[in-house]
Amino acid sequence: MTAITISTPITAVEELHLARLVDDFLELIDTSRDVGDPAVERLTPSPYPGDQGSTAAFAEATRNDLLDRRAADARRMRASLGDFDEDPTALGDAALESRDLAISLDELDPWLRTLTAIRLVIATRLGITADDDSGEDGRHQVYDWVGYRLELLIQAADDAGAGLGS
Amino acid sequence: MTVPAAVPSLDEATDLQAAPLEPWQVVVWNDPVNLMSYVVRVFRTYFGYSLDRATALMLAVHHEGHAVVATGPRETMEVHAQAMHDFGLWATVRKAPL
Repeated sequence: MTAITISTPITAVEELHLARLVDDFLELIDTSRDVGDPAVERLTPSPYPGDQGSTAAFAEATRNDLLDRRAADARRMRASLGDFDEDPTALGDAALESRDLAISLDELDPWLRTLTAIRLVIATRLGITADDDSGEDGRHQVYDWVGYRLELLIQAADDAGAGLGS
Repeated sequence: MTVPAAVPSLDEATDLQAAPLEPWQVVVWNDPVNLMSYVVRVFRTYFGYSLDRATALMLAVHHEGHAVVATGPRETMEVHAQAMHDFGLWATVRKAPL
């Protein structure tokens, strides 16, 4: 069995922004678990909508575990990104320098799930309810860009046959 | 020749209709966030579906608003739904309509 590694190019400034988004996401999961944040609610949907009894029992048993797995995924993704200064201008001329970001098969699902989760959080904040929702808010660009990074990774993974059996 | 001491009562045939399997379903619902390519990938890697089947299910979710992606015992369907939630898909569990 050969070890599959998925490689996608990424610039330093993109990597920095991704790292910050993951840090913010980890903070959200840590601090907003029990405060009814709609973004966290979206990450832990009810499998039994409209059935309060089943919902409560299931949610209680699984919600925290699910969020723990989310945090573990996010930490896994964060570990493959570099450490950065707070100030993006500190990157200087290196900001647009590109490197090949190597993601192992083990890291792939944590990356895909975390990028998806970050998009779900932003979409909840922006109130995105339709496929072609767009707006003036700068977060729409972040949302679209994370989608672009996710699509790149999916294509690279599909091309490599990663996780798709023989 | 002997006869069995106790002859099984053949009249006690089990009525299969009286104990239905009660299959449950995992339903994935459309949302405006998840990428089509991502949903197809999740169906392929998690359920092991072919590209064609995964794509058909994704398109059903997209165009019809939802699709049944798995059928079976309730506990198994709950595990699948949780896995879908791990992937950020919006999944629910329901008893299969008769």
